[in-house]
Amino acid sequence: MSLLEAEHVKAYYRVREGFVKAVDDVSLHLDRGVIMGLAGESGCGKSTLVNTLMLNIRPPLYLIDGRITLDGNLLSKMDKQTLKKKVWGVLVSIVPQSALNALMPTQKIIDLIKDIVHAHTDISDSEIVSMSRRRFEELNLPVEALNMYPHELSGGMRQRAVIAISTLLNPKLLIVDEPTSALDVSTQKQVLKLLVDLRKAKIIESMIFVTHDIAVLRQIADRIAIMYAGKIVESASTDDILYNSKHPYTYGLINAVVTPEPEVRKRGLISIPGEPPNLLKPPSGCRFHPRCPYAMDICRREEPPLVEVGEGWTVACHLVASGRR
Amino acid sequence: MVSQLIRDLLRIKKFDLSVAIFSSILIIGLVGPIVYEVDPVKMIGPPEQPPSEKYPLGTDSYGRDLLAQLLHGIRNSIYIGLTAAAISLAIGVTIGALSGYRGGVADSSLMLITDVVYALPSIMLMMLIAAYLKERNPIFVALVIGVTSWPWVARAVRSQMLSLKSRDFIYMSRMAGLSDIKIIFEDLIPNMASYIFMAFVLLMSGAMIAEAGLSMIGLGVTRGVSLGIILYWAQLLESVRRGIWWWFIPPGACLVALATSLLLLSTALDEYFSPRLRGG
Amino acid sequence: MLLEVKNLTKIFTVGFLRRKEIVAVKDVSFNVKESEFVSLVGESGSGKTTTARMILRLLRPTSGSVVFRDRDVWSLRTLNDLRWYWRQVHGIFQDPFASFNPLYKVDRVFYQVFTLLGDNDVDKESLVNEALKEVGLRPEEVLGRYPHELSGGQRQRLMIARCYLLKPKLILADEPISMIDASTRAGILQLFSKLRDEYKTSIIFITHDLGLAYYVSDRVLIMHKGSIVEEGSPEEIMEHPQHPYTKRLREDVPLLYRKWSGF
Repeated sequence: MSLLEAEHVKAYYRVREGFVKAVDDVSLHLDRGVIMGLAGESGCGKSTLVNTLMLNIRPPLYLIDGRITLDGNLLSKMDKQTLKKKVWGVLVSIVPQSALNALMPTQKIIDLIKDIVHAHTDISDSEIVSMSRRRFEELNLPVEALNMYPHELSGGMRQRAVIAISTLLNPKLLIVDEPTSALDVSTQKQVLKLLVDLRKAKIIESMIFVTHDIAVLRQIADRIAIMYAGKIVESASTDDILYNSKHPYTYGLINAVVTPEPEVRKRGLISIPGEPPNLLKPPSGCRFHPRCPYAMDICRREEPPLVEVGEGWTVACHLVASGRR
Repeated sequence: MVSQLIRDLLRIKKFDLSVAIFSSILIIGLVGPIVYEVDPVKMIGPPEQPPSEKYPLGTDSYGRDLLAQLLHGIRNSIYIGLTAAAISLAIGVTIGALSGYRGGVADSSLMLITDVVYALPSIMLMMLIAAYLKERNPIFVALVIGVTSWPWVARAVRSQMLSLKSRDFIYMSRMAGLSDIKIIFEDLIPNMASYIFMAFVLLMSGAMIAEAGLSMIGLGVTRGVSLGIILYWAQLLESVRRGIWWWFIPPGACLVALATSLLLLSTALDEYFSPRLRGG
Repeated sequence: MLLEVKNLTKIFTVGFLRRKEIVAVKDVSFNVKESEFVSLVGESGSGKTTTARMILRLLRPTSGSVVFRDRDVWSLRTLNDLRWYWRQVHGIFQDPFASFNPLYKVDRVFYQVFTLLGDNDVDKESLVNEALKEVGLRPEEVLGRYPHELSGGQRQRLMIARCYLLKPKLILADEPISMIDASTRAGILQLFSKLRDEYKTSIIFITHDLGLAYYVSDRVLIMHKGSIVEEGSPEEIMEHPQHPYTKRLREDVPLLYRKWSGF
């Protein structure tokens, strides 16, 4: 049974010139115990999508349409109060890109934790302290950090502390939005290890990891969904995305990854011509068609349907729909 | 780009209000003396008349028409404010820009001069210069205020300069072999334009108040009238104690309105140009 | 030798009363040959950008020298000498938006550099159009526009087009593609290789990305805490790293075709 189910979700930004269709008719489901990577270039709507999935939206972003169910609760119909009390932090948590913005500079880590926990339950302060200590120990984080101010911690430690705090109430789903893009590789690895450990220790069930870095997803994700111009174009197991991708954009994105490996030198770096579209007026039909080397007439006219090509493997491409790929 | 900027600015209520107040007083000062052709320094009637049909704002103790004085006073005060602000700005921007861009010895020495002028009580300096000049027309008063009130501008421009000059586009211009002067005028100063304009608005408000201050201690213009001079006479002849309200209230109100509208304008601009102050 | 960097050091002093010295670059030496592609790899704060600015003669070193074609770059004084240098050694920076003065149309970055070329009788417009075509831009889609109207990729291509106009002997590219979308990166990288192949331009490519350095360069320099800790061919660095920092870097870079153990 799936943990998260999203059907035909549309979330638009209202701007002076009209609507920016950042998330346009996205359906997605996430099984329990799965780490899913959500990959795409900047401005493709991946951050907007994950925030919409947990109803963390505020104007100018609006949920236009769609049904979102998390652990049997219909989120898309809930009001803000219920979401705050029953969903955020309890069922789902999000870790933003910069941990610095999530922490109050004048507040010790432990005081922040108290505030957050009090918003949801009536546990006593001393219990919160011992709970936090236990959790930090369990995750191999230094317990002393609890009594420190954010600026006393290094960037990587800060990010790990934020992750530990976000998962203190054992949310079923953890969403992380580019958590390592500002860190150097060694610190990045520590943060990734912490995320994997969270699932091993059964603190969380599932995770959505948003990033533009496919090599990072390769290390931790079970499944990868590729997003382009407000739509999910392909979703499959990590190996299938890596080795057997069906969508020309997925294929292009994989070929644009450079890692220090002989395979990369052998295959070379292949770029996709053109640039991602402006979501204020996306191209007709398949949004990738202006950049696609295989574009056909139908691609310009009609939006490709999302087709299931294998067990848990969906692709939105006319080439696949017409059986040519 | 410019039309978009004006459209955005007009959407700010503070901006609209301040511009409306300032420009209406300015228009009164410009057009008034032309329409109302009465000599402000000539005795034209009995002394200390309250406002009436014949003398719309009454007369002072010498029988001079107060409306005529007010109209000419507004004109001269704004003129002094503008000129003084322009002088301060020219000195402050030049010193600040050179100091920030050049760095090193030039910076240290220029900042030393700035600090000295800053540290001297400017009213003392003004008094010294003003007292030395026996005959003071508006341009002299503007000059006296202008050469004493630039140090904060120099400091502010210098710090802006320091942050701008390590921006990548400055490096791009330097690598194109542009001379320092060209870089200062093409790249640096235009990027501080909003800032410089705000400084100008503040300087002008300060200069008009300073003019009133100088006049009140008897060191204002010796020829013609200004808002400060009207207040000086009103104070000298104890108009407040004697209840001749039509003498001091109109010029006082105009001065406050002018200075306040300029301060309001600068906060409106500040909110627009520094996004962190923008709400939402 | 085209460029020799000798014992370059930069110390910043911060604070007013309690002066503190920060050593940003410490005793850095290396050479660059003609048409060589050298990568300088380091994480943020390693001093790589400071090194680049000192070589570009934009930031004065505390000690050490930069010698280009047997002339000490920091002893160049007159504007003419400086133009001679920047005509042959040019830079490209990380943030393609910050590289443009937001108040001017993008055309300015081209018309500026004609002073470096020194020849006034050239048909400037056709030279600019030619350079734009070299980097895959249509003149009519970029010229006459303001920087904010173009995408990051277009802006960075414009910067490279400026180099095509100058055809310098050496380009210092400071993280030129780290802010560019993954799908368009390769295209921009190819422009550097093309410059090297066609005009024998040497490139110092500054990056935090070991994978990128491994892919594009002839020689890799690893920079850590202001010093160069290791130098070698990409294969040497990847297969037999010597310095503990390089070893750690290699182990911690996420790979595409190999999975970390324990994850």
